Amino acid sequence: MKSNKKGQWINNVSRVGSLLGVCLAMMLIVSCNDDDDDPLPPAGGKLMIRFEHHVSGQPVTFNDMKYVNAAGNPFEVTDIQWFISDITLHKADGSSEVLEGDGTGDFVHYIDTGIPSTLTWEKEDTLQAGKYTGIAMTFGLKGPKNLRNYFTDPPESDMEWPAPLGGDQGGYHYMKLNGFWLDLQQKREAFNFHLGVGPKKDNQGNTLFVQNWFETMLPNSSFEMESDETKEIVIVMNIENWFHDPNLYDFNEVGAGIMNNQDAQQLAKENGNNVFSIGSIKSHVQQ
Amino acid sequence: MKKPSLFMIPAMILFVVAVMVSCLNDDPDPPHTTIPYELPVIEGFPKNLNIPEDNPLTEEGVKLGRYLFHDGRLSGRLHPDSLMSCATCHVQEKGFEAGIDHPKFKGGQPVGIPSEEYPQGKPTPHFMLPTINLVYNHNGYLWNGSVHETNEELGSPEYGVPADPAFHRKSVEAFAWMAIVAPHEINGDLEKTVETIENIPIYPPMFEAAYGSPEVSIEKISKSIAQYVRTIVSYRSKYHQWLRGEAELTPAEQRGYDLFFSETADCFHCHSGVLLTTNQFYNNAKDSVFDGIGDRYSVTKKPWDLGAFRAPSLINCEITAPYMHDGRFKTLEEVVDFYSEGLVSSDYVHPLMKGVSKGGVRLDPQEKSDLIAFLKTFTDHALLEDPAYSKPSDLHFDR
Repeated sequence: MKSNKKGQWINNVSRVGSLLGVCLAMMLIVSCNDDDDDPLPPAGGKLMIRFEHHVSGQPVTFNDMKYVNAAGNPFEVTDIQWFISDITLHKADGSSEVLEGDGTGDFVHYIDTGIPSTLTWEKEDTLQAGKYTGIAMTFGLKGPKNLRNYFTDPPESDMEWPAPLGGDQGGYHYMKLNGFWLDLQQKREAFNFHLGVGPKKDNQGNTLFVQNWFETMLPNSSFEMESDETKEIVIVMNIENWFHDPNLYDFNEVGAGIMNNQDAQQLAKENGNNVFSIGSIKSHVQQ
Repeated sequence: MKKPSLFMIPAMILFVVAVMVSCLNDDPDPPHTTIPYELPVIEGFPKNLNIPEDNPLTEEGVKLGRYLFHDGRLSGRLHPDSLMSCATCHVQEKGFEAGIDHPKFKGGQPVGIPSEEYPQGKPTPHFMLPTINLVYNHNGYLWNGSVHETNEELGSPEYGVPADPAFHRKSVEAFAWMAIVAPHEINGDLEKTVETIENIPIYPPMFEAAYGSPEVSIEKISKSIAQYVRTIVSYRSKYHQWLRGEAELTPAEQRGYDLFFSETADCFHCHSGVLLTTNQFYNNAKDSVFDGIGDRYSVTKKPWDLGAFRAPSLINCEITAPYMHDGRFKTLEEVVDFYSEGLVSSDYVHPLMKGVSKGGVRLDPQEKSDLIAFLKTFTDHALLEDPAYSKPSDLHFDR
């Protein structure tokens, strides 16, 4: 009997051991299979976009009344905050890729000259190698991105465009460009060149809210992405171009603030097509 | 009968030994556990909370912090004339400010506990900012933002606080030790405060509950008070209720709202969003001469920050007079008159201050009245009366 019991125990231990062994083997097999199924990462490189703000081809010097716009207004710039969204890379085969956002889905990037970290954006994953024929962007925010509470955290939420000026759904400033100009009496006056949703009366006296975002294709923005390189693209806002071509923008006529002035915002929007350019496209070998 | 495979036996022995060893390694003392404190999630409010990783909110820590915040023995003294706590100046029913009618602080300007050097108490160099909604602020604290997460300044050697990382000036945690040693506040020393608190019977068990040990330290005191302060969130004013569709504005309040959010009065660029502040710093055209002391310039050394101070939240502004960093205005009417006609030109005025050359935004009497009616919708009566923030009923040493 003893011998039988001992044999039974050994048999049971052996069964459990065999079962564990089978499980272990299965895990190894599955794990090996997983490794085998991992696709190779697509050939590509890193994409980094830097944002610069220029006047007359040079980086802007803030708080210095040394610039003159096309209307002859001496002006200085104190600070700029703005949104760029829906950056789209067009490919040689006719397809295009909209850059992905930082967790919110759509691409939106907030740029603030007072916050250096916002002046650079890096794509989290690699950008597929190949020829890209151009870069398009949206100045400002469109669709659901421009509705109240899309942003709840500062600094983006501080760009709120209030409902009385933007309709029930509110929205956000596309840009705050602040500074001073010298008026006709050489008095230093503040300007708030703020773009967003402009209220406008229709023929019946009803208030309409006009969205002033615009899409633009950046000139000379083709590039070729090669594997294992970092492509650094500089997008430049040429500040003085907000104030001319095709519309002459005179601070003495328009005044300090234009949030409630759709006509002025329309001038700015039309001038905006010449505001953005490519500063440089450089390749860096990844370390 | 099937023969066992012999190589399985050592494997099983190893398995059993491993189980036994893992049992032997069990700590006989259970780990210290606390209950996480859940802040309310409010529509439209920031989701990115300013809570340091090394000081998460716990029910136990918040409770301890609430006691310490209201306990005058935080001063390290027991004489009734020398009691002072955070709540001495940050009074709940006054929106966590002193209030212009404070019984001890004339005109709402706090003074420190009197000493030989300051027999009448040293006045604070600035007026009050409230301890509300600090959990949503990532842009530094105080009127000039000098307490900021990037600040490398340590301790207060001149007051015996060593230049040690434990005494950083980065976050709300710093306020407790700073207040204890500051001559214009508690005017005490850290050792006496720790000694006093650890000899009060109610506290060691509360420290044990919060931190797993009854030992009292200034670091734990600071962390607890910071935890409590981070729970003071304001979101129940009439204005906030109206934003959520839970209240109606009167016609005057509605007109005031339209003005506030217009470029005519243009209050919203600095007092924006649900917090009614950007927490940024502006020279708002109060003066034309600046000494660079205590303002934003004193932190950044950038010329354009001369005379710039934090835009405070307007929540509870109805009851938080006096106004501005130096308390120069006693009523909301004076404040509105200032922005309407009293602006002073200088090279350092922020460009968001439009109309400086005309003296201000030029509101008529009706507009001023409407604007003030709207400002009063920012009063959060629920916060001012919420027992969760009041002095604990079993705490008999207040102020």
